[in-house]
Amino acid sequence: MKNNRKKIAVHLSKVTKSYVIHHEKPTLVEKFVRGREETFYAVKNLSLQINAGEKIGLIGPNGSGKTTLLKLIAGITCPTNGTVHTDGKIVSLIDLEAGFHPDLTGEQNIFLNGMILGMKRAEIAKKMDSIIDFADIGRFIDSPLFSYSEGMKLKLGFSVAAHADPDILILDESIYAGDLKFQRKLQKKLDEFFKDNKTILLVTHWLEFVQKNCKRVLVMNGGKIIIDGKPKTTIAKYKQMNKNHK
Amino acid sequence: MLSTNIKFGNFTDLLIGLTEKELRTRYKFTVLGFFWIALNPILQMLIIGFVFTFFIRNPIENYYYYLFIGLLVWNFFSLSLTRATQSIVWERTLIKKAAFPKVVIPLSIVLSNLFHLIIAMTIFAIPVSFLGTISFEGIIYIFLAFLLLLTFTIGASLLTSALNVRYRDINFFVQALIMIWFYATPIIYTLSMIPYKFYWLWRLNPMTSILQLLQHGFLNQPLPGIGMFTINLVIIAAVFTLGIIIFNKEGNNFDDWI
Repeated sequence: MKNNRKKIAVHLSKVTKSYVIHHEKPTLVEKFVRGREETFYAVKNLSLQINAGEKIGLIGPNGSGKTTLLKLIAGITCPTNGTVHTDGKIVSLIDLEAGFHPDLTGEQNIFLNGMILGMKRAEIAKKMDSIIDFADIGRFIDSPLFSYSEGMKLKLGFSVAAHADPDILILDESIYAGDLKFQRKLQKKLDEFFKDNKTILLVTHWLEFVQKNCKRVLVMNGGKIIIDGKPKTTIAKYKQMNKNHK
Repeated sequence: MLSTNIKFGNFTDLLIGLTEKELRTRYKFTVLGFFWIALNPILQMLIIGFVFTFFIRNPIENYYYYLFIGLLVWNFFSLSLTRATQSIVWERTLIKKAAFPKVVIPLSIVLSNLFHLIIAMTIFAIPVSFLGTISFEGIIYIFLAFLLLLTFTIGASLLTSALNVRYRDINFFVQALIMIWFYATPIIYTLSMIPYKFYWLWRLNPMTSILQLLQHGFLNQPLPGIGMFTINLVIIAAVFTLGIIIFNKEGNNFDDWI
């Protein structure tokens, strides 16, 4: 092995993320009149280290802070407390609509999306055919994005993300909405990333998928990582936990 | 600090890309498209020019030209500011995608409007050049005015776009302000019509010097006084600095509010 000393891809140190609960957007007046705010801790004092090349599955009940954790790592949002360090190019696929403009065509959106992910215009132009081919959206490439189905947006989003040449790939559960043909492509691409020693962090409720693809599984609950271990034992514990709750 | 994938080369690519997107989507699904850039101020000029001449005792020289230049600059400023104010909220899907310098969003709006302004100004300069009011010195003042206009518009846009994410009132505040601001700026009148004791009010409005510089450059109207220019300049610098500070502070948490 050429990589004896392991490089740290993601390092979170005592990270807390709190949100102000806003049932309505506060107006300036309310801000000064009421002055009191309810806070909600999505992630609580969480520390985590991910080495380069690790494949990690993140599981846990809804509202346990998984997506917030992904957003913190992707740099989409900032921690309230603590520090997040990342090394390498991060590409995330968290929200399917993200990075797209409904009035632009598929091709224009590929440029926009790619540039947001840190690609250069020339680089995107060079990869354009390959991106369109992988997304498999055919003649819709010249249609505005609002005419796309959810599945097509997913394919386009994943295709751009995969071509952005990430060091760290972050996938949220929406990615499993694709059809069977796309699932096979996704699997193939993930296998490629696997071989290329890329770091992958994925959230899913599909436990078999995690067991098959990941080498390390994290279980989150209440904004904390409660189990961190090998897939088989961790998933077994997680299932046990859910049973006890019933 | 957020780590981003964006380096300088990509930053300019992204800025140009977003500006292009802004230009493309603006006139999408319209029949006259690009012509609206010129048509809008011309219509305004004709109507205001017709009505306002009844109220002025001492007519302003080349009044329709005077009006047109003011309207062009004002349209640039008001469109940039009102659109930029809402821009972060509108472009929420981009914010939710990745960590990138969010300043490109309001900047791209200002740039797309600047593109329109430069085209309109260039067309405007052709008939004006026949009036014989443009001098070499005047061109320097025109460039200075553009620099100040751009600085002020960017600063104000950063400020309002960042604040509007958390306090959506800002949007309505800006819309109301723009209405009043139009009349508080020497666009349809000249500053010389205002009694001197009220000048301090115009000194608080940085658009005064910007317009006076342009009106001087194109039409040989009087330059702004030194007091006017200095105070306007200080306010422009203050707004620009404040805009950058607030945008940087709020920018890390945009995702929490949209």
